[in-house]
Amino acid sequence: MSAIIEIKDLTKEFKVLNRREGLKGSIKDLFSRNYKTVRAVDNISMTIQQGEIVGYLGPNGAGKSTTIKMMTGVLEPTSGEIRTNGIVPYANRARNAQEIGVVFGQRSQLWWALPLVESFKILKDIYQIPDEKYNSMLELYGSLVDLEPLLHKPVRQMSLGQRTLSDILAAFLHDPKIVFLDEPTIGLDVSMKSKIRKLIQALNKEKNTTVILTTHDMGDVDALCRRIVIIDKGKMLYDNDIEHLKSFFGSYRTLKIRPDGELSAQAELIGKELPNFSVTADDEWIAILVDEDKSKVIDVLGQLQKSHKIKDMQLEEISTEEVIKKIYEEGVS
Amino acid sequence: MKLKKHITLTKAGIMESLQFRLGTFVMALGNILYLIVVYYLWKAIYASAGTDSVNGMTFSDTLIYLVLATALFNFMEMYTVWEMGRSIQSGKIVLELLKPMEYRSYLFWSNSGAFVTNFVFTFLPTFIAVALVTHGAIHMGLNLLFFLISVIIAISINYSINFIVGTICVYTESIWGINIMKQVIVLLLSGATIPLAFFPETFRKITYYLPFQSIYNAPLSILLNAHPEPKELLVTIGTQLIWAAVLMILSKLFWKVSLRQITVNGG
Amino acid sequence: MKKKGLGFYLRIYFKILAQDIKSKMSYRADFIISTIGMIFTNIAGFVSFWIMFRSFPSINGWGYYEMLFLYGFSLVAITPVQCLFDNNWSLRIAVYTGDFIKYCFRPINIFFYYQSEVFDIKGLGQLAFGIGTLIYSWNKIGLGFTPLILLKMIVFLITASLVMIAMQNAAAATCFWIMNSFYVLDLVTRFKDYAKYPVTIFSPVFRFIFTFLMPIAFIAYYPSLVILRPDEVPLLSWLSPLIGVVFFWLSYKFWMRGALKYNGTGS
Repeated sequence: MSAIIEIKDLTKEFKVLNRREGLKGSIKDLFSRNYKTVRAVDNISMTIQQGEIVGYLGPNGAGKSTTIKMMTGVLEPTSGEIRTNGIVPYANRARNAQEIGVVFGQRSQLWWALPLVESFKILKDIYQIPDEKYNSMLELYGSLVDLEPLLHKPVRQMSLGQRTLSDILAAFLHDPKIVFLDEPTIGLDVSMKSKIRKLIQALNKEKNTTVILTTHDMGDVDALCRRIVIIDKGKMLYDNDIEHLKSFFGSYRTLKIRPDGELSAQAELIGKELPNFSVTADDEWIAILVDEDKSKVIDVLGQLQKSHKIKDMQLEEISTEEVIKKIYEEGVS
Repeated sequence: MKLKKHITLTKAGIMESLQFRLGTFVMALGNILYLIVVYYLWKAIYASAGTDSVNGMTFSDTLIYLVLATALFNFMEMYTVWEMGRSIQSGKIVLELLKPMEYRSYLFWSNSGAFVTNFVFTFLPTFIAVALVTHGAIHMGLNLLFFLISVIIAISINYSINFIVGTICVYTESIWGINIMKQVIVLLLSGATIPLAFFPETFRKITYYLPFQSIYNAPLSILLNAHPEPKELLVTIGTQLIWAAVLMILSKLFWKVSLRQITVNGG
Repeated sequence: MKKKGLGFYLRIYFKILAQDIKSKMSYRADFIISTIGMIFTNIAGFVSFWIMFRSFPSINGWGYYEMLFLYGFSLVAITPVQCLFDNNWSLRIAVYTGDFIKYCFRPINIFFYYQSEVFDIKGLGQLAFGIGTLIYSWNKIGLGFTPLILLKMIVFLITASLVMIAMQNAAAATCFWIMNSFYVLDLVTRFKDYAKYPVTIFSPVFRFIFTFLMPIAFIAYYPSLVILRPDEVPLLSWLSPLIGVVFFWLSYKFWMRGALKYNGTGS
């Protein structure tokens, strides 16, 4: 294994206009402006190896997109070093672009009115993909997804899922060393999500492509990533194996119960009864996060049974989502 | 209160258009440069003609006419056709139909903010500049009041025409094509590019039977005529009023009919 | 990685361009309406020209057919910008919505990739009008025809086109810095309509501005002097091919500077 991305003390600052409020403010803005500096990425360092799938996580506005834009050579860092594939991306944008693939949010990079195969042909020329390589790639695609019906459909007539799938295929077409996927499964249904995850995994395995994945969907992370990097407010919070994270918080388990009565009201009641526990409710369950070092799940359940009629229960290991939430709240020491 | 609702929309529009600071400055600068071009062009034309007055218009008449026609155009152009076209095509129109206001007046009032900024930033400075440069060739009297009335009617006519053309976008995707055709016809036949006085006799007569001359030619000829005959004034403004009423009714009817198309197709 | 030479870029250009024409064909009604709109615009332009010169037989020593020649020349010269660089009009929106970022991820020149995406076929109608006008006025003036004059014509038409392209590039690229660059682009477009008048009508200050700062004088006036007044060609006319190339290069640099500064606002 060799390092494909090396980032050292990377920082990016933006100048942001402070807009004044109201009609008077607008008129003042017309004549004098007031800028402030925002540090979108703050002193981040990491090294990513060839073939890794890295989950790059953080809340909205944490600086994920900014980091990715710097890795792809679109943005110039304010300070710090960044090397992808041995070159400085910003200084060699076109050369860097040859070795990367990008699926950015829901912005399709395909030609809207054309059937997918026509887009592929243009990309083949742009990336100067040799015939045999192009054909073997299409063959590989054919073995992974139901390619034929996609190829001859204009992109604008595709469903969101088909479009995402096509965009991912297009990003891998020139066999790049790194592929950046920004929220690839957003807005898709469960079966399409799993289809896309399988595709990413297979392509990563087959081509040893490094994949940088930003997502809010912990399902993506659980299915694909061994390593995760979490940033918030531009600062790095965590960079390690997902297992390490889980072992760190391993003594936590989630007790899910379904009592009689309206769930959110019940959850509120339980929250009052158990002030030291985190209690949340969704459409089906009330979830109680239990620290097994402090109290046994069975004791908690016993206590709850005294005051509530519990129809059903489940016990779960902690989910990544809760782990990350805890990191946001408490940090990793 | 009904008026308050409208004023709030206007205010929001003013704020929005001021946000585009440089846009505003560039717009003002562009207009100044444009005026300079028009000034020199017509100066050269009149110098070559060798007479002071051509087709009954002197150099300063022509200059005032053309410059103010452009200023009027800039101030009346609300890109209604574009806005309607886009919201019809994107389906956003469905949301706008849900607003507790008739779409025709909603669109008008939410654009009227840009209207006010344009008036203050482009029309007024232009007017003052022209009045100064031509050394009082604009008569400052009752004609200003009639001009103002005439402009207000012109705004209504122009908006109705735009709204009718915008409604066509329900039936076709070609906003650009539709809009450019409208613009070309309106600008030429209203006398905004060349004063109607220069048109050949028959051509000019035809334009007087069309609504377009009520947009630019009517207010401007009122402004330039220091001592109008009451009858003449009455005919000009009367014609404007009739067109304003006819086009308003037409635009409302056309919209009503086309609305069915939207509700059937779901936008 | 293979070297990306001219051949590579040409092949890509035609591939991407062909896709645009294919997709335009799938919106046939739009295409037809836009073409009609374009024809309308040109007819209206001629009508205005005719009305104006009906009343004024010459401007500053330039006769009717010479003016017509300048007009035709400017129409042909603005065809390339209309056909090949039309995507500049969408630049503002691509930047504003953040869609521009997709052009930054490809291993080819951003400017090239962006401009190659749109080919505006309806600009060809304008070309036909322009060539027709040129031939007609050519005959009426009695310019004669030699291979040399044809060569001159082609070289100077390309020159003029480069200047026009440069102006539009620069105007469009302002959107990387200012929010509403539409006004800038609109301004430049409006100015190209004045390219068809001889620059000598302006006072020295504005002659300088329109020659060096907003170089519309190079779109028709300086280049056509070589053909129309071969005995009194100023140095600037002979220099205009060089100036055209320099302006184009500067505008390209400016555009790219903006594109590289671009940080994907709105994503």
